[in-house]
Amino acid sequence: MAPEKKLQIALYWGAACGGCDVAVLDTNEFILDVAALADIRLWPIAVDGKYRDVEAMQDGELDLTIFSGAVRNSENERIAKLLRQKSKLLVAFGSCAHMGGIPGLANTTTREAIFDRAYLHNPSIEQGSQTIPRPETKVAAGTLDLPSFYRRVYKLADIVDVDYYVPGCPPAPSQVKAVLLAIAQGDLPPKGSVVGAADQAVCDECTREKKEKKLKRFYRPWEIIQDPAKCLMDQGILCAGAATRGGCGVRCPNTGQGCRGCYGPLPNVIDHGAKFLSAVASIIDSNDPEEIRKVLEGIPDFACIAYRFGMPASLLQRNLQS
Amino acid sequence: MSFEPKIVGFLCNWCSYAGADLAGTSRIHYPPNLRVIRVMCSARIDPTFVLRALAGGADGVLICGCHPGDCHYSEGNYKAMRRYPLLKQVLAQYGVEDARVRLEWVSASEGQRFADVVTDMTEKIHALGPSRIRAHLQLDKVER
Amino acid sequence: MAEPRIGVYICNCGTNIAKVVNCDRVCEAASKLPGVAVARTYQYMCSNPGQDMIVQDVRQLGLDRVVVAACSPRMHERTFRKALRSAGLNEYLLEMANIREQCSWVHDDEFAATNKTEALVRAAVMRVVHHEPLEKLSVNMCPNTLVIGGGVAGLTAALEMADAGHKVFLVERDDHLGGNLARVDLTAPYLDSARDLLTERITRVRECKNLQVMLGSALKNLSGFVGNFVATIGPVGGNGKTDQEISVEVGAVVVCTGYKEFDASRITYFGYGKLPNVITSFEFERMLRSGRIETKEGKTPQYVAIIHCVGSRSQEFHGYCSRVCCMTALKYTHEIKSALPGSYVSDLYIDMHAFGKGHEDFYKQSSEVKTLFLMYGKNEHPVIKRAAPEDGCEMLIEVAEKLSGEVIEIPADMVILMVGMEAQADADKLARLVNISQDKEGWFIESHPKLDPVATTTEGIFIAGTCAFPKDIPDTVAQARAAAARVLGKIAREKIEIDAVFAEVNEDLCSGCRMCNELCPYSAVEFDSEKRRSRVNSALCKACGGCVAACPSSAIKARHFTDQQIVAQIEGVLS
Repeated sequence: MAPEKKLQIALYWGAACGGCDVAVLDTNEFILDVAALADIRLWPIAVDGKYRDVEAMQDGELDLTIFSGAVRNSENERIAKLLRQKSKLLVAFGSCAHMGGIPGLANTTTREAIFDRAYLHNPSIEQGSQTIPRPETKVAAGTLDLPSFYRRVYKLADIVDVDYYVPGCPPAPSQVKAVLLAIAQGDLPPKGSVVGAADQAVCDECTREKKEKKLKRFYRPWEIIQDPAKCLMDQGILCAGAATRGGCGVRCPNTGQGCRGCYGPLPNVIDHGAKFLSAVASIIDSNDPEEIRKVLEGIPDFACIAYRFGMPASLLQRNLQS
Repeated sequence: MSFEPKIVGFLCNWCSYAGADLAGTSRIHYPPNLRVIRVMCSARIDPTFVLRALAGGADGVLICGCHPGDCHYSEGNYKAMRRYPLLKQVLAQYGVEDARVRLEWVSASEGQRFADVVTDMTEKIHALGPSRIRAHLQLDKVER
Repeated sequence: MAEPRIGVYICNCGTNIAKVVNCDRVCEAASKLPGVAVARTYQYMCSNPGQDMIVQDVRQLGLDRVVVAACSPRMHERTFRKALRSAGLNEYLLEMANIREQCSWVHDDEFAATNKTEALVRAAVMRVVHHEPLEKLSVNMCPNTLVIGGGVAGLTAALEMADAGHKVFLVERDDHLGGNLARVDLTAPYLDSARDLLTERITRVRECKNLQVMLGSALKNLSGFVGNFVATIGPVGGNGKTDQEISVEVGAVVVCTGYKEFDASRITYFGYGKLPNVITSFEFERMLRSGRIETKEGKTPQYVAIIHCVGSRSQEFHGYCSRVCCMTALKYTHEIKSALPGSYVSDLYIDMHAFGKGHEDFYKQSSEVKTLFLMYGKNEHPVIKRAAPEDGCEMLIEVAEKLSGEVIEIPADMVILMVGMEAQADADKLARLVNISQDKEGWFIESHPKLDPVATTTEGIFIAGTCAFPKDIPDTVAQARAAAARVLGKIAREKIEIDAVFAEVNEDLCSGCRMCNELCPYSAVEFDSEKRRSRVNSALCKACGGCVAACPSSAIKARHFTDQQIVAQIEGVLS
């Protein structure tokens, strides 16, 4: 179905690494089809559009905005709201927009601690340098402004109304294609759906052999020589695949790395990390509190493992101190 | 108005809920801050429930099961025993005070013990003050 | 889903609830909750008029959910479920709020108790919205029964069921029947012969065609569920060889494995094992059966002392009373005095437990035969020492006698230790095999100590006799008959209803991760390797919810305890 007029689309990055934009580009020749189907009005990584161009648009003039990255500062918030206003459909693209992503782990700490570590006390900072980012800085020629850094990280849906979620860090190129085509063809699922991912966990796609699980120990991936044919959890290596939506092609377990959970929780799950926690703890093969404690010592920093991509989307969202 | 903690309790039907009932039939008084949710076994308690309660405004969460070895379903409480320390680790990383979530074994004959546990927990949480978790979740005001 | 129509009923329970909780206020608040079609208070909801009120409202107001705020559901959930059934509603569309045992009876602040009640009612209303009608399963009841243990309990239970015309398998690990009672000479208080009691039973057991006795055998495995068990029985020890094992189908199991005696050598101050004439009650029974009371050296004892509570009622060993020893001790005073009229018998006790029929009379008779009764304090045990040659006796017992307040020494040529009862050493193995629980002392736990003493929390498994706690022969026989009656009742009904509450795997959400399979104590969560999905056997599932909470996909649903229902309750108590 050839559209009568070209689709108006925008792609934007909030608190992001650029990987989602690369994922779109990784669709290779398909991007040329996209360019043929659509006018890309804003895409900081690839085209020339400016904010003022977006501000000048009518409300709803954009058919689709693909927003990757979380909301960390005032610019992210402003542009998220601007794009929402100007777009018919707003898609939270990638783990950061969907759940907060890796930037979301900053919710375990405070803004003060972050600034201290990034700008004041680390091995590459000059002694005595006290420069931290400020929203406004007066210089001879006038006032320079920077976006203000928020106290915590938000997922996109915390700030604006989101139509669809495309999970993944980044979403697999095949999913990107499927989603863009679906939207282009008007083939839309119910609002609020997670698209481009399976309704079953990664284990369904994973070809490793799964047996009954009873663990006496957890291992870091480098601690043992894995059997590539056996389930990683069976071997004591943490893999969040059982708690995570599939559809990614089992990219990580196929290379010997446990799934890190970037596609987020399954449909009926309220809190991704809590479910992973429950499964991991339940299969510990011990009924003795002391032995259980020792086994759990093999899992350092579990909150960051369980909520690696989704801390802002978790039930508690952030450390109380932040 | 002074602070009255709201504590959500998950009690297993066969031991701890029966123990709580025994406190009742024995007319052993304890503070009225606990709201009990009955489950068949402490094994049913998904860590999600604890987080949901905290996010929903609970100042504390009490999980009760049968004493190890006495579970009506023979091993259910061991599952609670395994999940709890990992949950506590995560809660600590979220900055939730240790005393707010507690696991206790209470048998069907321990009415007094149940009352003592509730009294002790209520006092400790009273001393800690209201949980700030729910306030910190308010998304209507972006924390700039 | 159509708008629910919930009826909320707040019970006053006379003044039990109404004295502390402002039921009218709660009712008023409940009536405003979303989905509530009617809210009422009443004096006694569990009464016939109370239940009728629910039935009428369901019929006339078209209610499809009911909340009853009253006593503990452990008390009356069954009652109100029946009321819903009479009204034509599925019984699982009920939720109770416990505002008595866990509210009005434990709080005195009316304001706080009323607030708490409102929160609990709100939670119940929000939960019941998510209840679903559930149907019970019906399975056949196999009329065969397995009895484990061939002592007086096992023999009695087995005969009761076999006489009723049903097949019974009686498994006994020794090479003879009779258990501990076979080691006893006469029984207190009427001094009947234990042999006579047992011989009658054992003969009938041997002659009974319905009864298959397997001596030197033990239960190796039990699978299945009530009405449909498969028991695997093999020789004791067996070395893991399965060729001599047989499997039988039974509908119920009655556990009558009895007790073992306390090991007196654990008590150093009694010198058992060191002083040759300090013996246990069972060793004395052997002497009585042989007809001769004499010391190890073959002499007739002049001074005999009996010490109660050996290993029982003690902080160090077992805190409980072993129930039969006091009367047995008195029996010994009788028997010693009749066999050796010139002897001096001392009876050292903490309390004289003469609780049963004929016991007090027996106690009186014992004092009449001139037994010297010496009372000692619970934690001030007597000490037995070797006597010096000039003392004119073998041993001296030092005891802090309570009634006189003096520490005295009594002579003894023979000391009989009334050793208490203990749970069998391998009771834990059996408990695991048949899925019953043990208390801290190892005794099997009954379903309810007062209201249900022979059933266990595992349907179809019954316990009788001393395996559940020390008791005497009358109580043992009563329990054995009671357990048999329960089984016969089930057999008579021919079908067993299995609770509708079990777990279910949604195969569309299950990814085959297999986190759940090892978690089930009943092996109810199976894995289909073709479909690569896990599945719950609903007949085996006991609904503990362990697999449900562990499932990382939330693919397993706990019927009647779903995530949705519980989360609704959490929101209800906190809003």
